Amino acid sequence: MKPDVDLVMQGFFGTLLMDVAPHLNAEYSMGNVGIMAMMMFMTAEEHDRAADIRVAENTEMRALFAEAAKLIEDAALSAMLADAAASRDASLRVKALDAANAVLNGLLVELQTYVETSKAAWAGPLDARIWDYLVAATERRKLTFPSLG
Amino acid sequence: MTMDDLAPRIAAYLAHRMPQASQIEISGVSRIHGGASRETFRLSASWREGGNRKTRPLILRRDPVASLIETERDVEYNAYRAFHPTGLPVPEPLYLETDLKWLDRPFFVMEQIEGCTAGSPFNPEPYGALAETLGRQFWTHLGHIAAADPKEIGFDANMGSIAPDACWKRELDKWEKVIDEDELAPQPVARAAIRWLRRNPPPPPPKISVVHGDYRTGNFLFNPEGEIRAILDWEMCHLGDPLEDVAWAADPLWAFQRPDRPGGMIARDEAFAIWEKESGLTIDPGRMRWWEIFNSLKGLAIWISAGKEYQTGANRDPVLAFSSWYCTDVHNRVLAKRLADFAKEARR
Repeated sequence: MKPDVDLVMQGFFGTLLMDVAPHLNAEYSMGNVGIMAMMMFMTAEEHDRAADIRVAENTEMRALFAEAAKLIEDAALSAMLADAAASRDASLRVKALDAANAVLNGLLVELQTYVETSKAAWAGPLDARIWDYLVAATERRKLTFPSLG
Repeated sequence: MTMDDLAPRIAAYLAHRMPQASQIEISGVSRIHGGASRETFRLSASWREGGNRKTRPLILRRDPVASLIETERDVEYNAYRAFHPTGLPVPEPLYLETDLKWLDRPFFVMEQIEGCTAGSPFNPEPYGALAETLGRQFWTHLGHIAAADPKEIGFDANMGSIAPDACWKRELDKWEKVIDEDELAPQPVARAAIRWLRRNPPPPPPKISVVHGDYRTGNFLFNPEGEIRAILDWEMCHLGDPLEDVAWAADPLWAFQRPDRPGGMIARDEAFAIWEKESGLTIDPGRMRWWEIFNSLKGLAIWISAGKEYQTGANRDPVLAFSSWYCTDVHNRVLAKRLADFAKEARR
């Protein structure tokens, strides 16, 4: 069996900070090693969850768009929302998920801009639903900062 | 260029600037982390003058090929020149050089403040037992910056004037443009923040002040006795609403685990009371709220820009990658929560 990626990254974090950095003479290099070690710690967390987070976001945005497409009066925007709602992630590779995520986020910006200026009765609840999504999505992406104490 | 290459070139430059000096020697050239917008080098210069051998530790800040914040070095240098005679703890600026023949890129030289350290902005306890004493000085100095007359101290040279009711828009336009140009993917939270800021402009400040632009934990040096000896990193200084600095200094990113103690120093209420006393100004809650949201957006713009620099290979400094990963997530989270609350309030 091979060691898990997150275990290796966390191991490297410790090795860089405890074994490598103290032996460096140049302050700038020592600082860089410290930053790289912290990012390895974060990579350990991100490696395991990256696809899961992106699939969850893409799925939630598509569900939101499906709901919004039925409410929006603007025919062009409504059609774009319906198309996006019907799209699917063709691959679980993180770069492919990121590309889809970027397209969906772009449409989310358009949708929220539209909703904010709408006086329709559905606008308030839909705006609240968008914010619920954004708060949950940003919280889900929270990176743990390593304790260095 | 290696450190060994730099030393003789710096010596040649100092010989040009110090005709009274002879036998100039440069030693201990070492690159340090000193703000991600300039390459910063620590060094020691020694020379013979008037029959004596003199030594002075120096800092050299050189323009990078690409940076976290694209700024003009003369703006930063001029801030040091304006504030050094006022008693505000800043290093003495010595030489500003734009001729590329010396070190390939523009640079400036200033006094090195020795025996000091800077706290980490990402540590919940960046100052340990010195937090209280440093916190009181930190907010006192920021009050003095806000109280300073930009014209009287010569800060306004080459700055361009700005009307009190225009400063919010100038800053917002500037940082929105950074996001427009540098975002690698659409940013829903940043865009929502920009729309909120435009829909809810702040009242104008009672006066235009010097704004440091990056006044925060990690951007000052202090000695072991707990005295702030140097306020650094003036790259983003400008004229504007003094609450911009107050809100940036109190931004939740710095010492993020302790939002009740901005920057991991003293309690928010005490900090703001000190600032009001020393600046002679008051903190209007509505204006403050606008600048808080603005500063989290400005942070996002900086981290987005850092991410682009790294991704495109323009600058592979690890701090840019770190800022892009960690700081973007923090500011997205901070803004999403606050703006969601505002939206909820507005619907009631």
